[in-house]
Amino acid sequence: MSFEKNYGNPELEEKLRDRSFYTTDSNPEFLKEVEKISRTDAHMCFQCGSCTGGCPSAPRSSYRIRLFMRKVVLGLEEEALTDPDLWLCTTCYTCTDRCPRNLAPTDVIMALRNLAARRDIIPKNFLKTVQAIYKTGHGVPNNDANRAARVKLGLTPEPETTAGHPEFIPGIQKIIDHYGLKDRADRILAEGE
Amino acid sequence: MHEYAFFLGCIAPNRYPGCEASAIKTSEKVGIKLLPLKGGSCCPAPGAFGSIDLNIWYAMAARNVCLAEEMGKDIALICNGCYKSIYEVNEILKNNDELRDGANEVLAEIDMEFKGSIDVWHLIELYYDSEICGVEKIRNSITRPLTGVKIAPHYGCHLLKPAKERHFGNAENPMWFEELIDALGAESVQYKNKMQCCGAGGGVRGYDLSQALDITNEKLINVQEVGADVLTEFCPFCQLQYDRGQVEIKETFGKEYNLPVLHYNELLGLAQGMSPDELALDLHAVDCKPFLDMIL
Repeated sequence: MSFEKNYGNPELEEKLRDRSFYTTDSNPEFLKEVEKISRTDAHMCFQCGSCTGGCPSAPRSSYRIRLFMRKVVLGLEEEALTDPDLWLCTTCYTCTDRCPRNLAPTDVIMALRNLAARRDIIPKNFLKTVQAIYKTGHGVPNNDANRAARVKLGLTPEPETTAGHPEFIPGIQKIIDHYGLKDRADRILAEGE
Repeated sequence: MHEYAFFLGCIAPNRYPGCEASAIKTSEKVGIKLLPLKGGSCCPAPGAFGSIDLNIWYAMAARNVCLAEEMGKDIALICNGCYKSIYEVNEILKNNDELRDGANEVLAEIDMEFKGSIDVWHLIELYYDSEICGVEKIRNSITRPLTGVKIAPHYGCHLLKPAKERHFGNAENPMWFEELIDALGAESVQYKNKMQCCGAGGGVRGYDLSQALDITNEKLINVQEVGADVLTEFCPFCQLQYDRGQVEIKETFGKEYNLPVLHYNELLGLAQGMSPDELALDLHAVDCKPFLDMIL
């Protein structure tokens, strides 16, 4: 649980404390980009706060979905993409169901994460999932205890997935390589060590 | 028999194989045949993959859909997370030419093409659908009613939300899962904030475990308050979060619930006469014995 915002980055913390809006910080293209990726009209947000009110992450952290919506509309790209709270959305879509403007704040978060990822801002656990899928096709791969249990159930030790049919794995690797994601995951994780 | 390509995902086959085994066996008793979908991968995880690049998520999920298209069968699956990826990407690519062309450009490299020729279903919605199965058929398949067991329903998120893109309508207080639970001879119970997320999704479980567990803990407090004997869901990822999560909550917050957590397929299996051994209930982190003692 994030009891206090402390990112070990004095510059970012200073910026987050300052609620003033400076037009020099604003990138007018940012809103358009977010709207394209999220496929939702974020500029229609009138800041009612229904999203934060129904958010399961909000009561136990400093994550405020309404704030991210505002930053998008104001073009505050730098602040939105570098705020670690961006990764506390569980994607439950409650805000999306309750938005009186019929927007999808959850998909705005997904778009912001996509844009952060382009700057190599991606949590480690996400990248490890990429590595696991590249290797096995599974984000949560099989193991020996599970194989033994499967046999007792009358199932094959390996499921009928890429685990039982590894001949499908090169195809998956080709898709991931098309986007260069495996190499990026390896590089970012190596740099972080 | 209604036949479907059975998309397994990761957590069911690789952590809770009883979910897979019970899906195959229980569905056969109500006229549904789940056929192996060879070469399926991770859906891929909507939180992890979708967050990094939605285009990769589309392409990877589309590959799984293509495998079923080649079989000429609709997909049935047993996980809300898989539903988010497979159902949603199938619908998006059917209706958005630009995104479909983008995915097909990548799929062409592995000699596949997304055609948009099949539909994707969660097995639980097939169970509830009276044209395929329906509550009555479930009730009639029961040989060992779960009499006297209070069961709390957890709907999870991605089968119902966003509601405008799903089949069940308003997701503020649905009651259809309760009908399916009551059909087992058990008593479904209502609790505070029933529709709240388990806390695991969106990559939060891996990014900030204590944050995820705190959400789970709140749910468990509310479920315990109404005296539930069992928590049931239809999502192995929610199951993992509630089941293994209780061990982690004990370590993190020092709170203990000992609340058995079972996938609806596992409960249905027990109610249809399957033994706990046929469901690998010993792989659950929370001991299911107190519940099993009530019905065996």
